[in-house]
Amino acid sequence: MERLIIKYQNRIFNVVLKMCGNSDDAAELTQEAFVKVIESIEKFKGRSSFYTWLFRIAVNLTLNYCQRHARTATRSLDAEDMEPDGTANQSLRDFLSDERAVDPAMVAQSRELCDLAMDALLKLEEPQRAVVVLRDIEGMNYTEIADVLNIELGTVRSRLSRARSNLREILEAMINEGGSKDR
Amino acid sequence: MKADPKIDELLCSFVDGELPPRQQTEIQRLAARDPEISRRLRQLQNCRALVSALPRSEAPGELFEQIKVAVERKTLLEEQPASGVSTAGVIHLIARRFLAAAAMIALLGVLGYVVYQIVAPVPGTEVQPPVAGIGKPLRVEPTQPAAVPIVVADSGFSGRLEIQTATVAQADAVLKRAVEQNGLSALVASDDAAGIRTYKLVSSRQGVGRLIASLQSIWRSFDGVTLRIEGPGQFAGPVTVQAITSGQAVSIVTSKNTAASIETARSYAVINAMTQRTPGRDVLAAISNDVAVAQDLATIDDKVLIAGPEADTTLTPPKGEPNVSLTIVLLHTR
Repeated sequence: MERLIIKYQNRIFNVVLKMCGNSDDAAELTQEAFVKVIESIEKFKGRSSFYTWLFRIAVNLTLNYCQRHARTATRSLDAEDMEPDGTANQSLRDFLSDERAVDPAMVAQSRELCDLAMDALLKLEEPQRAVVVLRDIEGMNYTEIADVLNIELGTVRSRLSRARSNLREILEAMINEGGSKDR
Repeated sequence: MKADPKIDELLCSFVDGELPPRQQTEIQRLAARDPEISRRLRQLQNCRALVSALPRSEAPGELFEQIKVAVERKTLLEEQPASGVSTAGVIHLIARRFLAAAAMIALLGVLGYVVYQIVAPVPGTEVQPPVAGIGKPLRVEPTQPAAVPIVVADSGFSGRLEIQTATVAQADAVLKRAVEQNGLSALVASDDAAGIRTYKLVSSRQGVGRLIASLQSIWRSFDGVTLRIEGPGQFAGPVTVQAITSGQAVSIVTSKNTAASIETARSYAVINAMTQRTPGRDVLAAISNDVAVAQDLATIDDKVLIAGPEADTTLTPPKGEPNVSLTIVLLHTR
């Protein structure tokens, strides 16, 4: 059981953190998810894979948490709205550019860019955020995402497509705000 | 221009490699011909790359400990109402209080009668006027027993180890030899018709620990072993540990005192109950795409969530240690 927890704890924590945006809450939700898994492991019938079952529990807990704290979270985000500086703004422009492909390693090197991307992610609605996080951060395929979120495959396709469009719009708005403040 | 949601979905699936090969090729061809499609694809790829490149966060180091504590707490809370022990305890407590109150009333009655006999005027005698110091109401001091210092001493515990086995005779032979080899003496009783052998022994903790450790070689052949231990009044108990291993039993009996023995037993009771909840091997086979995880679950270490002390394998005879009594019952598996 120890190995099971150690094997998945970082991945679960990472997904939960990217969904809720607060490391203390993410730690608590990860703990709660594992306790629930241990408690209800006898109910696991093997109809889905253990991997998706585990993530379903963690994601459902996180979505419930996000809904409960939606108002607070919005306020805290508004209060800490990012104002990209010149460098981060340009990097973000490159990422949104349709002219050329950009180097993802650049994101990891720029803390400000990470914060901007995370901020934009947290501004997505929870269901859309969940599909983006499961796909682009956890690297699940569409079938696994459908299994985790208990939705149809077609819903995964449409929701992910809308989520990426919205994310782009949020990022563009950030660039524009940054640009107008620079002027 | 607003993008068509259906085309966007297709492009999104293309970027994620989620389209069938034929559609994948069609999109590639389309993107080569149509600059607008090509531009949209680039946007999606870059947007996806931005999120994918976010740094991975690691769980706090103490997370496993916190999970362990939370599981233990929940399991204990769940077990308490189910056991019925608490209800029985409340009834027992009320009964004791009721008896104590009744005894107090009876005592007051007797005292009142005695006082009345002393102070009541004898018929025919005159009532004298009160003189200073005489005739004051008699104060009856409640008789209190002399304060006895409460000494909480470790007076050992009593335990019952029930072993279910299909081969009582073989287990009996091993147990008998182990008793002799460890220099212990036991009161042996048997009921051949029922297939039961009972060993009652009183020894030091280390002596009992050595005896249990001697059974390690045949422990796996047992169909089920349950240990129930109970301390004297000041200790909570009894505690029953199902499906106990020899290592756990040795840990419990060789703990430094009765409180520690009961605490260790309680921990193992929790972990063994949890271990019994794990799914069967058929389900485990379906767990995860990772076979190692399934194997981990199938072979849960019984001590993994309890960071208790390791069983002492180098037992040394203690000096002046209180004895513990253990009844070992060999039962034939039905």
